[in-house]
Amino acid sequence: MALNEALKDFSIEGKAALVIGAELPLGAAAAQILAEAGANVMLASQEPGTGDALKELAKKIGALGRKAAVKIQSAITRADLSACVDLTVKQLGSLDIAVNALDVPFFAPAEASDDTAFEKVLENNFKTVWMACQEAGRSMVQHGGGVIVNLTSIMAERGVPNGSLYAAAQAAVLSLTRSLALEWARKGVRVNAIEMGWVEDERSPAVKDEEFAQTLVKYLPEQRLLKPEELGGALLYLVSPAAAYVTGQSVAIDGGLLCRV
Amino acid sequence: MILDSFKLDGKVAIITGAGRGLGRAMAVRFAQAGADVVAAARTLAELEQTAEQVRQTGRKCLIAQTDVTRSEQVNAMAAAAIKEFGRIDILVNNAGGYHKGMGKRLHELTDEEWREGIDTNLTGQFYCCRAVITQMLEQQGGKIINIASGWGLRGGKNVFAYACAKGAVLQLTRSLAVTYAKKNIYANCIVPGIFEGAAQYFQGGKFIPIGRIGRDAELGPLALFLASNASNHLNGAFITIDGGGLAGGITPTGVFPRLTETAEA
Repeated sequence: MALNEALKDFSIEGKAALVIGAELPLGAAAAQILAEAGANVMLASQEPGTGDALKELAKKIGALGRKAAVKIQSAITRADLSACVDLTVKQLGSLDIAVNALDVPFFAPAEASDDTAFEKVLENNFKTVWMACQEAGRSMVQHGGGVIVNLTSIMAERGVPNGSLYAAAQAAVLSLTRSLALEWARKGVRVNAIEMGWVEDERSPAVKDEEFAQTLVKYLPEQRLLKPEELGGALLYLVSPAAAYVTGQSVAIDGGLLCRV
Repeated sequence: MILDSFKLDGKVAIITGAGRGLGRAMAVRFAQAGADVVAAARTLAELEQTAEQVRQTGRKCLIAQTDVTRSEQVNAMAAAAIKEFGRIDILVNNAGGYHKGMGKRLHELTDEEWREGIDTNLTGQFYCCRAVITQMLEQQGGKIINIASGWGLRGGKNVFAYACAKGAVLQLTRSLAVTYAKKNIYANCIVPGIFEGAAQYFQGGKFIPIGRIGRDAELGPLALFLASNASNHLNGAFITIDGGGLAGGITPTGVFPRLTETAEA
């Protein structure tokens, strides 16, 4: 009884959530956590080959007693994102929570990165998030409110050699978050970000590049990589009524990395 | 399940400045989540009211009348907590706030006013951390939550000792995080905006993007998140709860550039 009192504003029972990038480790973890906390979830993927994995995830969410729907597309275009939003409203009844887990790591020396790389990295990591926020935000403003969480990286705050484009795109997501939060502050839409540290993700150089990974892990305050599901507590806090007074902010989950020298 | 990770069953939390406002809100929320509470502050009558609210949830509350600027009193507070409950899992450094000299320009401040501001808002947090960390090391874990302020991140007109102390609280937190990371002791900061206690100075919060002053009870869930296993791996961070105030600030709220030609093109 007393416990319910303490946890009640963390509940998102019956809310409709859209996770864009649900095929990625962080997106999949986010979807599962939202479902555990009571939400029905639309899983949107940008990878045509990920249907089976997403159906598996949808099954797990179904086993929790929540509704889950899957949408796979070949690329993230505005039309696709708009369709995701419409489909969420149609299948789950509303769009209350949107989590943008879109992310394609890119590391290369600056002098070897051409204009095509620039366009690709900024499109994959920033333009898609901008479009997703716009489409989700439009629907939320129309329907009286909602919450958006953009997943970004601590590279938004720190430079990384060979990461010039990728880190700049992450910083752009953080900046986008702040301005949208102010623009929609009185329209009932909160917009926040989570900055992730080095995550266990096979696409990340922290896993893929063995030599780099070995040195990196020794440098981390806890000397280990972050597991995707460790974003759960912060994500649930931000999307739930518990954070009704929090907007335009970011939470870094990095095991203390940002505060070391 | 994710919601269970927010519970504090079997944990013991010390909260300073627990006699009113944000401190009381956190004490009650922690108790609702299952923790026993050590409520510390200078004013006994206020602590008794907090204790009554904590006990109504079915949890225990130890009153520790403490001036956090006096290290012997802080050490006695920690000792009393260990004697009563046998452990300390959570410390919330919430005591602090207004001090003599706030509102004065720098050249008008006396030595005494400066020291009071720093002692109340920084040194007290140091004393409290020092008093509990040995116990947390023995237990191989703990959570420290330091309360900073928007003035720890931005300058304030005629706010000197307070702003300097709160800025230093962020640094205290970061160094704690780096020093004890491998010992399972996590230290994080809350940066509150304008809440009920200061409402009278801020015209109902018209200038805050979200359009209102924060409610004291709204701090409870954030503190609970940082005190619980839900925030494991979050370390040395600060989380701002201010209705969007610090996300902006380079234009007055409600004043912003109009649509430009290039935006339409």
